[in-house]
Amino acid sequence: VSKRKILATRAALTLTPSAVNRIRTLLEDKPEYIGVKVGVRTRGCNGMTYTLDFTKQKEKADEEVLQDGVRVFIEKKAQLTLLGTEMDFVESKLSSEFVFNNPNIKGTCGCGESFNI
Amino acid sequence: LLRCPQKSQPLYTDFSRLSSTSAKEEPAVSAESSPVEEKVYLSASCVKRLGEIMDKGEYLRIQVEGGGCSGFQYKYIVDSTRNEDDRVFEQGGVGVIVDQDSLEFVKGSTLDYTQEMIRSSFQMLKNPQADHGCSCGTSFSVKL
Repeated sequence: VSKRKILATRAALTLTPSAVNRIRTLLEDKPEYIGVKVGVRTRGCNGMTYTLDFTKQKEKADEEVLQDGVRVFIEKKAQLTLLGTEMDFVESKLSSEFVFNNPNIKGTCGCGESFNI
Repeated sequence: LLRCPQKSQPLYTDFSRLSSTSAKEEPAVSAESSPVEEKVYLSASCVKRLGEIMDKGEYLRIQVEGGGCSGFQYKYIVDSTRNEDDRVFEQGGVGVIVDQDSLEFVKGSTLDYTQEMIRSSFQMLKNPQADHGCSCGTSFSVKL
């Protein structure tokens, strides 16, 4: 008996409203960029770290996430790592940063910048 | 501005230790004759940012704690009380508080407000006492 499995398709990355606002602000006065690109890089004491850059064009292998008019591209390398991650922007008096709530990771560094999966 | 911290730093020993070595090249352990000024420098971006976020009577307190992946980590707190053993470094109308114990670990460093796309935060740069740090800049190990 073959059973067709119905899988929910979800966005590879979700953005919180504060992250959307922040990215929108970042892109406001930069019409040459179409969005931001999220990636991962081997760095830090716990293996990997996230990177964030402006992007001018969509690469072939990039996964595009469009949410509330904000476009975020995920690098090919980072797609598996980031799957299901929530991207948040946390702002306090002393610091402001993008935080990635990633369900795939096993551990992080104390500062939260570095992680392993 | 001031003397640049040299590459070969005095090994950090004990808070209370005071030995007066008067060698020219070799830095001494004592606070007085050490080439590292007992102070924390503030970068222009740091002064600007502190001016924006701090209310009157508020200071940024820098603390060093054990922890992080490299042994020690910096902690930044907004504080309005000054304790007896605190040192205050003021510049451009803003102030930074460092307690005496923490100062031993951070003296000669520069506090900077780094703004990147992914993160904006206060960071200690060029800490003469630090051997190597974590990539995040929060944690560091002390030169031995």
